[in-house]
Amino acid sequence: MWLYILKRALQGLLTVWFIATATFFAMHNVPGDPLTNDRAMTETTRANLEAKYGLDQPITTQYLIFLRNLARGDFGISFVQENREVNDIIREHFPVSAILGVLAVVFAATGGVLFGALTALYRNRLPDYLIMFLVILGISVPSFVVAALSQLSLVSLNSLVGFTFLPVAGWGTVMHMLVPALVLGLSTMAYLTRLMRSSMLEVTSSDYVRTAKSKGVPPTRIFTRHQLRNAILPVVTVLGPAIAAITTGGFVVELVFAIPGLGRYFVEAVQQLDYTVIMGTTVFYGAFLVFMVILVDVVYGFIDPRVRLDS
Amino acid sequence: MPAREELKSGTPLLMVEDLQVEFDTFGGTVQAVRGVSFSVDQGRTLAIVGESGCGKSVTVQSIMGLIPTPPGRIKAGSARLRGHEILGRSTVRGKEIRGAEIGMIFQDPMTSLNPTMTIGDQIAEPLQVHRGYSARDAFTEAIRLLELSKIPEAAKRARQYPFEFSGGMLQRAMIAMALSCKPSILIADEPTTALDVTIQAQILDLMHELQKETGMAIVLITHDLGVVARMADEVAVMYAGKVVEYGSADDVFYRSAHPYTVGLKEAMPTNDPGRHQELKPIDGSPPDLFAPPAGCGYSPRCPNAMQICSDRQPQDHDLHGHHSASCWLHHAQSESRPETLFFKDAH
Repeated sequence: MWLYILKRALQGLLTVWFIATATFFAMHNVPGDPLTNDRAMTETTRANLEAKYGLDQPITTQYLIFLRNLARGDFGISFVQENREVNDIIREHFPVSAILGVLAVVFAATGGVLFGALTALYRNRLPDYLIMFLVILGISVPSFVVAALSQLSLVSLNSLVGFTFLPVAGWGTVMHMLVPALVLGLSTMAYLTRLMRSSMLEVTSSDYVRTAKSKGVPPTRIFTRHQLRNAILPVVTVLGPAIAAITTGGFVVELVFAIPGLGRYFVEAVQQLDYTVIMGTTVFYGAFLVFMVILVDVVYGFIDPRVRLDS
Repeated sequence: MPAREELKSGTPLLMVEDLQVEFDTFGGTVQAVRGVSFSVDQGRTLAIVGESGCGKSVTVQSIMGLIPTPPGRIKAGSARLRGHEILGRSTVRGKEIRGAEIGMIFQDPMTSLNPTMTIGDQIAEPLQVHRGYSARDAFTEAIRLLELSKIPEAAKRARQYPFEFSGGMLQRAMIAMALSCKPSILIADEPTTALDVTIQAQILDLMHELQKETGMAIVLITHDLGVVARMADEVAVMYAGKVVEYGSADDVFYRSAHPYTVGLKEAMPTNDPGRHQELKPIDGSPPDLFAPPAGCGYSPRCPNAMQICSDRQPQDHDLHGHHSASCWLHHAQSESRPETLFFKDAH
């Protein structure tokens, strides 16, 4: 078990290194550099920055400097925003994105499992058709459309209730989080619903469910003890990539709902060629996702005994 | 338990009469079982023999209420446990049928057990559901049942998952599970088909031994005549959804009265050195049960078929004792008497 986690952690480190290296060289192949923009920059600032990152040195030297700083956990100072460390930006804004993302994943997973099981139980009947119709909508309508529409309906809802029940935008309380998280998790929820439905149907017609019936186990117990745990396995498998999709897809939702998350800095940094911020956020996101995928794999081992983590 | 009751009533333990089961499919209605009757007594073993698709599995699954409805439908017939109807019911006189009165084991033990539940928990489950055992007591009993099924290190094994067991071990665990509530009947649906030959014999011996201990009846479904010879007291030979020959194992094997039974025997390899003969396959294929034939289902493949065979359904002809065959050759007016078959007055 611990050996397995250690092994996966080392693999993860390798992945993060690869991400960092790929981003570094991709960045350096983009024409222009952050120091040649039209903002005022004193000669000394410019010289200091060039010296610190070795921008006047060959690319291999720059790469080594970058790796050394990375190993120390120092992502550097933003080239564009004056006097802001990348670490500060991440520390300030990542928790917001993380809370939003985790909440969205929780919504997506519980909703997906619940609705998937429901559609399988009511196969080819009204609830099944209804939910599967909504699933198609959820998968095909892009999140910025859903976000805008949900804001519109929130406005009507709040004016109907007479007070700000669910805020339309902003950040701060739990009430601020609910709707954006739901919007963010919606397409994943729809996808997981489909997955859960088909896996549930497969389990329902399996030999071991027939065995449980032949033992006289009542239907509710068959559902909880025999069907659910087995049917949920494929859902857990895709949860890792799903978390990736949700956290990286958060930018649009953060923008529409005016949420001070990390996504905005990520995108703005790319537009402004802010080397250090791009590198910092990319490597950080990469490390976060690698961590989540490992976490999902460890959890998988607890649900399915056939996955032996210690071998 | 049931012994006293049975002496009183004199009715067989399980009696199935004229069972008819249909399935609605996109291609139409399949008449999978077309009037099957048999009975089995306490401590006895009935083997239901026939090729794939003849309706033998559907027959027992209907009795157990395992046929999904729809698309399945029990069209007619009855199945009575000690005289009480059980078709379409889940309890008989307040007792659960499935798991408590009748236990069942299946063809493929690898897929018939829940992969994410320990073997012990799965064996313990019927005890908790039907007998009100606590989880702890049920698990202790499960270990005892595993020992009874000759699984070494039962206490350790009970905490393992199906993927840690071999096929033969899993089938032993299945048997322990099916017998956990001491049912009066064990239905075994091709219990050895998925196992290799040496393990087959062990599983059959185990079933036989447990039968002697508990006095349960066994309904054994198989297409393997070797298994029948080893296990069965009575045999029902099924073809195209009907029982074509029925009788004691000796009668059916040594005094075969239906051409299909003879065909099956000739298609089976033997290691009897005195009987060196080539295997004779039965040519053709079973009839389409979407549109069952007007006459005998076997007539297109039957070497002894007469004109009437394809026109009219044959009746059951009693030969002697409980031995009967559903074949026109046994009709009083039939002039054809193939020497491979056993006839009434030859006895």
